[in-house]
Amino acid sequence: MSTSAKSEDKKLKLALDGSDKTKVMLTGIVFMGLSHIIHLKQYAKGIMFALVEIIALLFSPKIIGKIIDLITLGSPQPDIPVKDRDNSIFMLIDGVMVLAIIAILLVIYYISVKSALNEYREYCISQKVKGSKEAFSTLLGKSFPVLGLAPTVGLVVFFVIVPLLFSASVAFTNYSSPGNIPPNNTVDWVGLDNFFSLFGGDATWTGAFGRVAIWTLIWGATATITCYFGGLIMAVVLHENEFKLKPVFRTIFILPYAIPSVVSMLVWQNLLNGTFGPINRTLQAFGIIESSIPWLSDGTLAKFMCILINLWAGFPYFMLMTMGTMTAISADVYEAAKIDGASKWQNFKSITLPLVMYQTMPLIIMSFTHNINNFGAIFFLTGGNPVAADTTTTSAGSTDILVTWIYNLTINLLKYNYAAVIAVLIFVVLAPFAIWNFSQTKSYKEGEV
Amino acid sequence: MSNKVIKKINLALVILFLTIICLIVLYPVVYVISSAFSPGKSIASMSIIPFGNGFTTEHFEYLFTKTNYVNWFKNTFIIAISTSALTVVVASLGAYVFSRFRFTMKKQMMMAMLILQIFPSFVGMVAIYVILLRIGGLDTLWGLILIYLAGNIPYNTWMVKSYLDTIPKSLDEAARIDGANHFRIFATIVMPIAKPIITFLAITAFTNPWMDFIFPKMVLRSDAKMTLAVGLFNFVTEKKNEFTNFAAGAILIAIPFIVFFTITQKTMITSLGGSAVKE
Repeated sequence: MSTSAKSEDKKLKLALDGSDKTKVMLTGIVFMGLSHIIHLKQYAKGIMFALVEIIALLFSPKIIGKIIDLITLGSPQPDIPVKDRDNSIFMLIDGVMVLAIIAILLVIYYISVKSALNEYREYCISQKVKGSKEAFSTLLGKSFPVLGLAPTVGLVVFFVIVPLLFSASVAFTNYSSPGNIPPNNTVDWVGLDNFFSLFGGDATWTGAFGRVAIWTLIWGATATITCYFGGLIMAVVLHENEFKLKPVFRTIFILPYAIPSVVSMLVWQNLLNGTFGPINRTLQAFGIIESSIPWLSDGTLAKFMCILINLWAGFPYFMLMTMGTMTAISADVYEAAKIDGASKWQNFKSITLPLVMYQTMPLIIMSFTHNINNFGAIFFLTGGNPVAADTTTTSAGSTDILVTWIYNLTINLLKYNYAAVIAVLIFVVLAPFAIWNFSQTKSYKEGEV
Repeated sequence: MSNKVIKKINLALVILFLTIICLIVLYPVVYVISSAFSPGKSIASMSIIPFGNGFTTEHFEYLFTKTNYVNWFKNTFIIAISTSALTVVVASLGAYVFSRFRFTMKKQMMMAMLILQIFPSFVGMVAIYVILLRIGGLDTLWGLILIYLAGNIPYNTWMVKSYLDTIPKSLDEAARIDGANHFRIFATIVMPIAKPIITFLAITAFTNPWMDFIFPKMVLRSDAKMTLAVGLFNFVTEKKNEFTNFAAGAILIAIPFIVFFTITQKTMITSLGGSAVKE
């Protein structure tokens, strides 16, 4: 009883009916952790919060400097050595990082005020101050989620969010070769200029963008549909027929899925080579064709081959998926159909197909977004070739999709600004698909989000 | 014609169809295997009939003695195993906190994770390059591991969190009453139950770096630090056409994958199919 009596003695100078809420909140807002120290007598927690703000304030001149750099992106200094000149890209990335740090600090601020209010509410309910031992154990309990999430938050902020914000920012600068590549030159903010030149301002670039964007959509749609139905047909044929060698066939059909796409696409590229590829030489040897077919060096044919080879690589995935759903269909349904005198074809048409289609629909959407970003399928098969009319300026070949074009713009042409605009666009187009896909997941539907 | 005959013809047609598909599927595979054991360098000099040029193991010897192949293999393996292990630790720890604790901003953080996983990680390519440049992570394996790890987290944390949500909370509450702390509950109770999803996570995180090309190409500079994908790609660029060496190297990577997929195909059919079923 003595301990509880002791803690009864330690009353806070706060009203017990919750009327001092504003006071606690305002003190917390004035300085981080101040409420914990003055009103709530939770010194350890309060000092920890206060330390965060003190450190932030100590660094504030540096932080302000970085923000100014972010706004100006440095000034051209042609007369001093290259290594001493302002590096706009470092300024941009530091600026974005500082913004991220400020955001984290604001979140901690918000948490500190919220925590003070929570503690006050608890005090009002229990009518007594927590003993130091109790306070320590709750602090320890609460530190687990903080420690558990720290690596996640750190990695995501600095290696996912900061790069994305940086990319989005580059879309509004003139960061490009030849005139604006640090450290020799600086980069400037140019507003929506890049968007304008890609959407009408510059005929060559607009043309290239339109061409690549349309092919990307056609590619995404046809690649998905062909693989889906290819897989479906194979699964149905394997499922509906009974014969001895079935497992052997199935194992062979899984092979393309098991081979890394870097390997399989590079192999196809060589097999389909117009001059020395074995496929042309074989067809010629059998007398089927006279002159060699330019599989990958004719624009239209190359596009067609991309889809065809992607079918080779992609059908096993859908075959596996469809087989999985087909084995999951209950035998009772077929039993009932049999009693009604349904034929095999009717069974398939009215039971198997609708059920499989319904259940694999989310996969089609997912596969579409995957194919739009399917770098490997294009890059390793054709490398974007053959060249189109505008390729020398824009670096976009006939079979390049937006992703591989971004790669070319970044690695070969150093047109970071256009690459960033395209990346932003891909996001704007794909985000709804991805969000829709997530809205179909179980945890989202059950309101766990 | 009797019913039986029709059925037989039907089956014969089906098997004919499947055999044709089989040949198309197997053609490149067989050709690569034969190339790996054929003398000569370029694909141009090779016979159109697989194994029509004789048999040699010189390309494998070449890979192991004249190139950095062993190094590439080692690098890729180190990257894959570290990415896999770190992803499991960070994602499952984060998922456990998201699944079991209530805290300020939780909802906003979950939403941010959901939106972030939409972006393909190459979108931030330039920024990642500059960040690694500033922290000295260029041309190092840990720089690459860090990129893969960070890229894996948003989606996988969600995935593991959804799984942990299905494990009844009464289990860890019981342990709490017995005096176990959060870390012990996480390590000794939750993790063992979450084994299926953790295994799945470990495997996907392990296989990704084997096929990735963009990031190693960007981050790694020296030949000794290359990964397999980049190293192999360099065999068949326009400058040098060493298809046979490429084939030998490719077979060595593909074999573990093929063995793995062949063994697990039964499980995959059920688990992939199961996951596809709409709730």
